[in-house]
Amino acid sequence: MSKLRKAAWFNLAVTTGCMLAAGLGFAFLTRVNAKGVVYVGIALVSACVLTPVFYVLCHRKGFEASFDEREKMIYRRAFALSAWVLMFFLAGICIVPFLALGGQNVIRAYCLPLIFLSTLFVAQFAHSVAILIQCERENNDGR
Amino acid sequence: MGDNHISNRIRRLRFDHDEMTQQELADKVGVTRQTILAIEAGKYAPSLPLAFRIARAFHTTVEDVFTYEDEKTPSDAGKQAT
Repeated sequence: MSKLRKAAWFNLAVTTGCMLAAGLGFAFLTRVNAKGVVYVGIALVSACVLTPVFYVLCHRKGFEASFDEREKMIYRRAFALSAWVLMFFLAGICIVPFLALGGQNVIRAYCLPLIFLSTLFVAQFAHSVAILIQCERENNDGR
Repeated sequence: MGDNHISNRIRRLRFDHDEMTQQELADKVGVTRQTILAIEAGKYAPSLPLAFRIARAFHTTVEDVFTYEDEKTPSDAGKQAT
């Protein structure tokens, strides 16, 4: 398996795991109606979310440097696709409730961190899947 | 990537150079085996530096390795087939 595919699987696994953990954390904080000074819970959930994001961002240049030119093209194409997916997903998830419920209705506060988490996850998911699909298409066609 | 008008004789040249494997050629030019595979299959057009490195690995010129489809003459087509 090439370094690019390994990186895609790793990012997918780490992001999924951290998002699940963060989702459970938020669900717990919501259930106990935590607010104000619940620093420990908020810090743990934030660490689950931010650690993989910073890791991927900080190691991105190192990752790209070890790729050859074709892999860099695949990586950047997948990154562009994930940016589009992020935009459309965020637009949809923010605008659809407004259209469906009307501007005078309210949504619960826990929806906001869930929107944030799901947007991060969908963008990373799209990025990893785009890399894996491009690699798999070439492998199948080349035989 | 995708459709491009550049064909190549890399597979033939590898065979002619002591049956060089894709991995050996990849190591010589500094790319992955999958990149060589994609170039041979016409799925990826290499950059100029990579094209030159591939040509140098076979001790020949870039024109001998790669052909731009629009410039193919009937004599080139015959040469390509061998």
